[in-house]
Amino acid sequence: MKIALSKENILGLIALALFVVMTIIAPGFLSAENINNMMFQLPEFGLLALGMMVVIITGGIDLSITYTAALSGVSIAMMQSHGYPMMISILVGILIGLACGFMNGFIVTRIGVSPILVTLGTMILFEGVILSITKGNSISGFSDWYNLIGNGYYLGLIPLSMIIFIFFAVVTSVLLGKTYWGRCVYMIGSNSVASLFSGINTSRVILKVYLYASFLAAISAIIMTSRYNTAKVDLGSSYLLQSVAAAVLGGTEIQGGYGKVVGTVYAVMIFQILSNGLNLLEVPRTIVNVIMGAILIAVLVINFAKTKLGNKDRMQVTS
Amino acid sequence: MSEYLLRMEHISKTFHGMKALDHVRLEVKRGEIHALIGENGAGKSTLIKILAGVYQPDFGAEFYFEGKKVEIKKPIDAVLKGISIIYQDLSLFPNLSVAENICIGKDVYNKSWKRVNWNEIKKIAQKVLNELDFQIDLYTPVEKLSIAQQQLIEIARALAFDSKLIVMDEPTASLSSSEVEKLYHIIDRLKQKGISVIFVSHKLKELFTVSDRFTVLRDGKYVGTYLKEEMDEEKLITLMVGRKVQYERSQAVNHKIGNVILEVRNLSKEGNFKDISFQLKEGEVLGITGLVGSGRTELAQAIFGVNNPYKGEVKIQGEAVFISSPEKAVKNGIAYIPENRKIQGLILEQSVINNISISILKALRTKLGLIQRKKEVDLAERYIQAIDIRPAAPERKVGQLSGGNQQKVVISKWLATNPKILIIDEPTSGIDIGAKTEIHKLLRQLASEGMGVIVISSELPEILAVSDRILVMKHGRIAGELNIQEATQENIMNLALLGASPANHHGALSTVTQPSKGAMM
Amino acid sequence: MKSIMKKEASIAVIIIILSIVLSFINPVFLTIDNILDILKGNVVLGILAMGMTLVIITGGIDVSVAAVTTAVCVVIGKLLVMVPDHIGALFLLLVIACLLGIILGGINGFLVSKIEIPAIVVTLGTMSMINGIVLYVTNGQYLNSTDFPKVFLKFSNIKILGVSILIWLFFLIAILTWFLLKHTVMGREILAIGGNKESALRVGINFNKVQIFVFAYMGFLAGIAAIAQISYTKAVDPNGLSGLELSVIAAVVLGGTNIMGGRGTVIGTILGVLLLGIIQNGLILARIDIFWQKVVVGLIILLAVSYDHIQYKRAQAQLSRIEIDS
Repeated sequence: MKIALSKENILGLIALALFVVMTIIAPGFLSAENINNMMFQLPEFGLLALGMMVVIITGGIDLSITYTAALSGVSIAMMQSHGYPMMISILVGILIGLACGFMNGFIVTRIGVSPILVTLGTMILFEGVILSITKGNSISGFSDWYNLIGNGYYLGLIPLSMIIFIFFAVVTSVLLGKTYWGRCVYMIGSNSVASLFSGINTSRVILKVYLYASFLAAISAIIMTSRYNTAKVDLGSSYLLQSVAAAVLGGTEIQGGYGKVVGTVYAVMIFQILSNGLNLLEVPRTIVNVIMGAILIAVLVINFAKTKLGNKDRMQVTS
Repeated sequence: MSEYLLRMEHISKTFHGMKALDHVRLEVKRGEIHALIGENGAGKSTLIKILAGVYQPDFGAEFYFEGKKVEIKKPIDAVLKGISIIYQDLSLFPNLSVAENICIGKDVYNKSWKRVNWNEIKKIAQKVLNELDFQIDLYTPVEKLSIAQQQLIEIARALAFDSKLIVMDEPTASLSSSEVEKLYHIIDRLKQKGISVIFVSHKLKELFTVSDRFTVLRDGKYVGTYLKEEMDEEKLITLMVGRKVQYERSQAVNHKIGNVILEVRNLSKEGNFKDISFQLKEGEVLGITGLVGSGRTELAQAIFGVNNPYKGEVKIQGEAVFISSPEKAVKNGIAYIPENRKIQGLILEQSVINNISISILKALRTKLGLIQRKKEVDLAERYIQAIDIRPAAPERKVGQLSGGNQQKVVISKWLATNPKILIIDEPTSGIDIGAKTEIHKLLRQLASEGMGVIVISSELPEILAVSDRILVMKHGRIAGELNIQEATQENIMNLALLGASPANHHGALSTVTQPSKGAMM
Repeated sequence: MKSIMKKEASIAVIIIILSIVLSFINPVFLTIDNILDILKGNVVLGILAMGMTLVIITGGIDVSVAAVTTAVCVVIGKLLVMVPDHIGALFLLLVIACLLGIILGGINGFLVSKIEIPAIVVTLGTMSMINGIVLYVTNGQYLNSTDFPKVFLKFSNIKILGVSILIWLFFLIAILTWFLLKHTVMGREILAIGGNKESALRVGINFNKVQIFVFAYMGFLAGIAAIAQISYTKAVDPNGLSGLELSVIAAVVLGGTNIMGGRGTVIGTILGVLLLGIIQNGLILARIDIFWQKVVVGLIILLAVSYDHIQYKRAQAQLSRIEIDS
């Protein structure tokens, strides 16, 4: 029997191999404390990467995703520091995140401007809004309960944030794989005109895509602010390009039409294991970035070589 | 020097183990207009692409140009030897000026670091445009020109390259009839200059108008080369398909025409169509024809909700509705099968299943909103069976199917929604003759089951074969309506061109036997 | 010809209106000193925008420009403290800067054209790598001008006709790019590829070569921009240019270059750079909180691209009209 290796399976194996390698070469990698560290760091990035992936599947991109997160994080922080109850603050934070997503989705679908331009504009806009609100300062003053979200454990074992991430990874996977909306996301990513002509309300689907991405960004913001106990303008901004990289590394087609949650999750894990393991090996943080960039490009080069070899005589008969 | 400008011999091409061309030959004399014909899939395009250097032929091919053995490894080789290909989708640069489009790639223009010699470009462009008697501002960006004008720019480019052979791939496909006339004129002129033309088309009538000789291909094989004088349309068709084919009017199913299902009143859209009124009844096939650009597709797309906003009234089963999106159209039981299958009709990278189920997917969900994959697969398999989609591989990507089978997938998608009204735009474009008759039968059958069907087509034999009633459009208006009993190619043509039916109908009513004869455009 | 310049004209009108408003708010705006300051402050942005214009015309994008520029800055910074105080050394550094930029840009070009990876992904990858290396090498530390050779400091203070040499440098690059785009075969091939890639291949344009060229040219300009940046700030700051790539793209897009490729002019990009510069300067002069700058810039980008797209859709609708019998 032959087991076909999908893109995602290969990535899973790479993640596993990396894990094994790091266990062997990096001292303390497998220690409970270190595993814990990784589990606390992964969710915030993972959520952003999932949001980015969904947008990329439609053939778009959301450059404003980290500032959306930062804006909702800052709003939550401000509300709490002004004494509003935690739940209300979180709710408002999520709503503000959704408003950002709505703005992106509205301009993309109603006016029809290409997503990269729209989100480039809103990215600068949201950053400006945060700066104007915070005057560049960081804001803190969260309740103890709030701090639990990013730092607490579920059943004293698994980080709460990890549970949140797993929950949303499963939700995203079900939404994409099993619902009408998810199917439409793939169809639109492959061919938006034919999708429209098939009776899909493409505008509504895409609007929901940007809303969903911003929702995940807001959830990520809650975890981040809770974990750092502070919120400022550059909250999570280093994740912007990383989340694109994770989606692409995870097999998502940058032109749209293909992408799987499991691939992105594996990619996020690869990034996490690498950055953590290399850190333990006392490789400077900066070099870790270099290695991640190199991996991204290496994977694409390998993909290219693979399709090139496979495609050699696979041209279609045209009449 | 031999009398042949071009000789291609033993041209074979294998794709993925399948022979697309099998020892084909093609010989073109100097200054002749040579028609290359064959059904879709006969290998015309592959042969042209080998000539153009886009594809490399299999081992053993021999290529002679101007009496010398040559090799064409890449597109520029062909261009430099004096072979110009005018593709159906043209090879122009919309953002560049007329003059640049004519001269790009020419030797005033080929060393990357060289300065562009604008004077030279202007001179060359003006000279070839004069040769073609085509007056146009050299600085106009090409995107501002009509398709016919753009085609002339391509021909001008071929002249600027001193081409000895110009290949035109379906050049008349998107031209109006007066523009076609002009093109014939230009081709005549090229001939007088001693330039050879290979003319690819499947409109037999025009081939007889322009060509001197025919080379016929069938199923990737060379059938023969014939002089125009020894040919007639019927013979040619027999050679093309290897048997006699007729569009039969499948009236076998005796069906009743029922109540009005769709009524359109005074429908107008600025710059598209005006004051359109008609009715469609259950069980009826309504043909809509007219020249390309007469507003047929725009009208259909307005009814389907992709060409908004329109003025006027649309009633479905007596109830006034406003259809602002395809989503609403589907809800109202309207299905629309577009002409541009690959862009508007299908999602080529997705599977047959996903394409068939997409428009009905909402109904295949559980109460929780999850798609029931099993039902989806069943649905697809049912249609694969029912209308014989080949290969019967539901997981295969639609892009890998042939044109006819792709069309069947689109039809399946819409039949799955159980529409009351089916609008189908150029139902058989890019589909070979065998599959054409199948689709015609299917449309008749659907009508007999009570569906209201609107068929939009430029091919008169097709319209005459399937319709119960025919609307002819001209310049965005309905020029006339004909019953199938009174309709002939002649009076349809008259309406489409002149907007009036002449008093005397000539000819019998049933000249509906040959495909493509008198297809108009 | 008229229609081609329409876009540029409308940006120019916006700039003029904005300038009038600003000069009423604060008369300092229209002083020559202030205008020269605006220009000088945007030389780096402007030089990079020239290269980005070409990249975007071919349908690509390069988000690694700021990283490449920073990398060259760092290398040149390290060399500056070593070289003798001699004009020849300065010239040598300029050559090194350009070569280094060309190599880095060429790598991008190679990956985009030969390996067929989408430009945004390639440049994201190289950006992350270059940034990592730069921070590793410098430790994020600021390099001050105290050790720079005097000849270099002198160079950066040169004024010709009262105008800083950096501004002249920018105009020189703009003219070079204009000439390249307008009057060389390579430039026309760049436009042709942006206009219709398929057609370009059919008429024998070497797509790979052109793509590698535009990225290498982008790198070349990043090298020059690095020299300008060091001259302007008299220092090397490994973090000083972070995020600049987005401003560069914004300036190019504001200048009317189509992000889908095929259209773009040097004049338009200059106007786009000016517009961004004037907005920033104007906000300062109008004593508007510095933090609002980005809000304004973001809004202007959104308005500009939306307006442009609406115009485009209208033009398309006009093209598809058919003649109706009355």
